[in-house]
Amino acid sequence: MTSPRRSNALIYAGLMVAAVLTVAPFALSLLTSVTSAQQFATGTPLSLPSPPTLSNYTALGDAGFGRALMVTALMTAIITLGQLTFSVLAAYAFARLEFRGRDGLFWLYVATLMVPGTVTVVPLYLMMAEMGLRNTFWALVLPFLFGSPYAIFLLREYFRSIPDDLLNAAKLDGANTLDVIVHVVLPASKPILATLTLITVVSQWNSFMWPLVITSGERWRVLTVATAGLQSQYNAQWTLVMAATTVAIVPLVLLFAIFQRHIVRSIVVTGLK
Amino acid sequence: MSTPRVRSALLGYGLLAPSLFGVVCFLLLPMLVVVWLSMYRWDLLGPIRYVGLDNWRSVLTDPSFGNSLLVTLLFIAIVVPAQILLGLAAAAMLARELPGTGVFRALYVIPWICSPLAVAVLWRWILAPTDGAISTLAGQRIEWLTDPTLALPVVSAVTVWTNVGYVALFFLAGILAIPPQIHAAARIDGANSWQRFWRITLPMLRPTFFFVSVTGVVSAAQVFDTVYALTGGGPAGRTDLVAHSIYAEAFGAAAIGRAAVMALVLFVILVGVTIVQHLYFRRRISYDLT
Repeated sequence: MTSPRRSNALIYAGLMVAAVLTVAPFALSLLTSVTSAQQFATGTPLSLPSPPTLSNYTALGDAGFGRALMVTALMTAIITLGQLTFSVLAAYAFARLEFRGRDGLFWLYVATLMVPGTVTVVPLYLMMAEMGLRNTFWALVLPFLFGSPYAIFLLREYFRSIPDDLLNAAKLDGANTLDVIVHVVLPASKPILATLTLITVVSQWNSFMWPLVITSGERWRVLTVATAGLQSQYNAQWTLVMAATTVAIVPLVLLFAIFQRHIVRSIVVTGLK
Repeated sequence: MSTPRVRSALLGYGLLAPSLFGVVCFLLLPMLVVVWLSMYRWDLLGPIRYVGLDNWRSVLTDPSFGNSLLVTLLFIAIVVPAQILLGLAAAAMLARELPGTGVFRALYVIPWICSPLAVAVLWRWILAPTDGAISTLAGQRIEWLTDPTLALPVVSAVTVWTNVGYVALFFLAGILAIPPQIHAAARIDGANSWQRFWRITLPMLRPTFFFVSVTGVVSAAQVFDTVYALTGGGPAGRTDLVAHSIYAEAFGAAAIGRAAVMALVLFVILVGVTIVQHLYFRRRISYDLT
């Protein structure tokens, strides 16, 4: 029989090993990003940068990363706002209104959950090209702006659990549907809204394949595309490339650090990215 | 004057209008367009030309597409079991709920939160043969990504590294949801912790196993960013996962019709997996993690 103290020590050792394996690549990359190219060429990955330099980050600015950061942030913000707004409206209709065709439409929405993004990239490209929207901001956001069936699905479940009395009281006071949604339904649904916001922000910030195919050049380039481009262009300049990955990664890690408990919960509740 | 029923319908469809527009234009219509495209030849620039089933014949008899499906299958066969085993091990350690466990749990999820593209670029440096982190530390040149036998396992390992913390969350939630009385009763009957793990914990995690397997297969079948940045599908197609080969066919080789066929084949496979999921897994299982 092992003593509980010894087995606890073993568990901590295991947890530590896994933590080091998880964090080490990020730490090494962060260190490299503040190392000068000259020192990188002569030192080892573990040698501390002396002195640490921000020259790689200023070089990124010259390579147009400032704009890419702005485009990514704008794209993420607009898609998240649009997706949540339109998903809330649809979910309210599905959860709280009676009308012909409602259930059929709902199952149509659910069925589209089976359509993977990898399959729609090629036809969406053709459609955007036909509309002359290639390499525009609209092309980046349009396909994702009008709500997500998955968000609608989750919100509908949540809205159905809101007590009828709460909604009826507001209606008796003369509130119209929009008032009811804004002043009664939304405040009662904060946890699921926070969950969906975080999940949408993470997935849009990280999106790569669609921006890669539909944009070209620097104008509407997002961070992921810019990072990939930098890597293939300056294959050997790892200090610069690691600064780029840091810029792509750090905002989400900060977001995660702030909302860690909530995000961990959200992942388990929704089961999806 | 409109009756309440008509008004309710107007209101309902009014609220649904934006999302219905999105679902029809950006999910349903593309599915029709991809079927249509699969019968046409288009090089992104010139005119679109009808070719009947030519694309289907040429893709389905193309050894490189066969290779791509095989590589994807191998990739799934490595990634899904590995991330389940490691995720379960991590969850078993986290489930002891020793002080500080929350920090570890959060750390493990970080790779999954990050952009897969940035993560792949990061690993490309770590694995670079001459000035990469591992080669410099080991003091020898290792061709992790260009060696034909190493490339696919290495790409799989990076994917597993990304996903383990995420998979562990589901196992952790599953383990913590097992009523403690069951373990207590077994302890009174003289079962040690190892026996309790095998006889109680694992069987009760069956729904979790199913969930992480199915979602693992569906997401591994669509991995793109990682391959794009790590290997570009090489060496000699050894890491040419199907999502990457669709991309390369459409936007590299400019053979949109053939890419449409490949996308449809992937779609049929994924729908098959999803149907299996629904047959065995009718009710969504949700866990509460506190």
